Amino acid sequence: MPAIRPASKRKPPPDGFEDIEEDLLIFGNKMKDAQNTPTDNIPKHQAQWPIFQISHQRSRYVYELYYEKEAISKALYDWLLKNGYADAMLIAKWKKQGYEKLCCLRCIQTKETNFNSTCVCRVPRAQLKEDQDVQCVSCGCRGCASTD
Amino acid sequence: MVKSTYQPSASALQPLPPGWTEHKAPTGHTYYHNAETKESTYKRPGVAPTAPSINPAMNSFVQHQTVPQVNLSDPNVANAFMAQYGQPPPHQQRGQRGGSGPGARGGFQARPRPQPVDKPRLKIPIPGAEPWILVYTKYGRRFAYNPTKNASYWRIPEKLMPAILELDTARIRQKAEGKEIESHNGGKDADAQGGATAAARPSAPSPQAEEQATHEYDSSEYEEVEVTDDEGAEGDEKNQETDGEGHARKRQRTEEPPADTGPAEFTEADIAAQLAAMGAGYYGKDDVAMGEGVEGEEEWEEGDEGLPLSDEDARLLFKDLLNDFRINPYSPWEKLIEEGKVFDDPRYSVLPTTRARREVWEEWSRAKIQENNDRRVKEEKKDPRIPYLAFLQDKATPKLYWPEFRRKYKREAPMKDPKLHDRDRERFYREHIGRLKLPSTTLKADLRKLLVSVPLSTLNNTTDLLTLPPQVLSDIRYISLDPSIRDPFVEAYLQDLGPPPLAGGEGAGDGEDDAVKKSHGERLKREKALEERQRAVAEEKRRQEKRVQYERARLRDGEREIERAMHVDKKGLQSQLTGELAKT
Repeated sequence: MPAIRPASKRKPPPDGFEDIEEDLLIFGNKMKDAQNTPTDNIPKHQAQWPIFQISHQRSRYVYELYYEKEAISKALYDWLLKNGYADAMLIAKWKKQGYEKLCCLRCIQTKETNFNSTCVCRVPRAQLKEDQDVQCVSCGCRGCASTD
Repeated sequence: MVKSTYQPSASALQPLPPGWTEHKAPTGHTYYHNAETKESTYKRPGVAPTAPSINPAMNSFVQHQTVPQVNLSDPNVANAFMAQYGQPPPHQQRGQRGGSGPGARGGFQARPRPQPVDKPRLKIPIPGAEPWILVYTKYGRRFAYNPTKNASYWRIPEKLMPAILELDTARIRQKAEGKEIESHNGGKDADAQGGATAAARPSAPSPQAEEQATHEYDSSEYEEVEVTDDEGAEGDEKNQETDGEGHARKRQRTEEPPADTGPAEFTEADIAAQLAAMGAGYYGKDDVAMGEGVEGEEEWEEGDEGLPLSDEDARLLFKDLLNDFRINPYSPWEKLIEEGKVFDDPRYSVLPTTRARREVWEEWSRAKIQENNDRRVKEEKKDPRIPYLAFLQDKATPKLYWPEFRRKYKREAPMKDPKLHDRDRERFYREHIGRLKLPSTTLKADLRKLLVSVPLSTLNNTTDLLTLPPQVLSDIRYISLDPSIRDPFVEAYLQDLGPPPLAGGEGAGDGEDDAVKKSHGERLKREKALEERQRAVAEEKRRQEKRVQYERARLRDGEREIERAMHVDKKGLQSQLTGELAKT
């Protein structure tokens, strides 16, 4: 874990951070709330779903600002990644074809599953049975295939 | 989750005896001082708690002995009755409403127990008496509530009695079976609450209190309702009642179907589960965003498309809406949806689907951000030193060293600005303090030097004190002199300067003005179109209604006809025919 520097020694964030500061703060608060929610009566595998989901949303927010809306500068984007506001690995996947909507990295980690397959949320809606309602075990995703 | 930050406020305590005043020590403790006797104490001086301790006893005595015989089966009478006979001493009551509830009574006057106000925690629809709802409160009390008539009674109306009895027996049976379901928890909870209420009212010498402690809690609940009421004041009751209703109603509004079907229990665990469910719903929405786009939200679709409003206009209208609500173009779409403040605007529905809306929003935000960036490039960069130096001039004194100064003003915006390094801040401060000790003639000479160094194009006789160039404002020499001396000096200097050297004229202003005017005119046109469209929709709706009514009337006529035709009595068709004949 990197050393936490005091505010006086910290470099200021790049320009444009003020524009998105508020939204990032909202995400941060949501994340804190999710972390502090007791998970006593939630099934064990579901305990981390909100964490994954908020992290996904925040990464998506940063990703869209930089790659789709082109609203933030390269410097700011790098700074955000460095400071943990977005998951660089996840964003790296989103840039690949077929992974545009990927929910989390765990869902494509085939080595962790019994039959070396990806998560059920990666299966396109069209290939599922009629009215089959899926929610994946690792992050609670309901389907993140690119064709959905 | 959220810890109670309740502190018994001073008003919740007894009033101080005359001569005493309350103070706050620098350590944060409260202490009390008597100016006459020059006495101070941390302990709160109080009058002997004789008077208040009598009153409740009296009260309960009154309520259990001298109650006139009234017909309590009428709920209205019951309410009035309780208001009259359940009156605790009025002078303490005010303070207690602040949040201490029924805790401060009789013996423990000195330290009122922090008790939150009673709240509804569970509501159960009463089977057989449909609109009625039985609402349980946090303290185990309960009242019947009719949402349609908007009336609630602590005293359960007679006609609901059998239904509620049935409900209770069902609950007891369930408990006996030991089912591992929610209502079981609820039942236990209720027992615990019973205990709590008993504990909260130790001075109530009612036979029901003893009864309540026994296992027959459930069956004695009806009487218990009255008991708890007698102790609350009239205002208290009303308050809680309305409070309860408010909560109940709110609950109805926010969490709709799943909670209402079974026995809805709002126990600790269930609230957590509810929250989780709400969270799941919320994440569900995000999953939608994650996975399947936004088709899930298309129920927002209004049925009034297809009227002439061109696509382009609709898009522009929606953009106007986004502009008007000052939506942050950087914020994600989900935030806009979550906040939901744009839903009420008629312009929200000009686009038929959420997907279309999202597209327009994307386009708009992109344009907006672009505009922002352009403006920012054009705008000159603001020097972070200027506000800091102004702040220094205002606040810095030679009496404070830098660390002291920093600690004292660390909350001020100029001291927190990340653009300016702390090192620079310190340097400026030291320099400024050092310069404050210099004689004013030197300072004046320095300022003059500074002003001379600025070229005539930026500093000339058209500038005034408010429009000084940043070059001047961000210099330490500018703030060394006190403003009362400096300002006349600078003004005098400015008047001596010549006019600005002529440069290229300003031609861009007119074109911009035109553009603004044009966009405004277009916007007005669009809004007019929207209005017309809405009028057309209303007209169409009215016509449709009329048609429906007409059709209904015709149908009714037809039915009557058929009925008449079917009305053939025993004599058969003949009598019918003769009747017809006789009529003609």
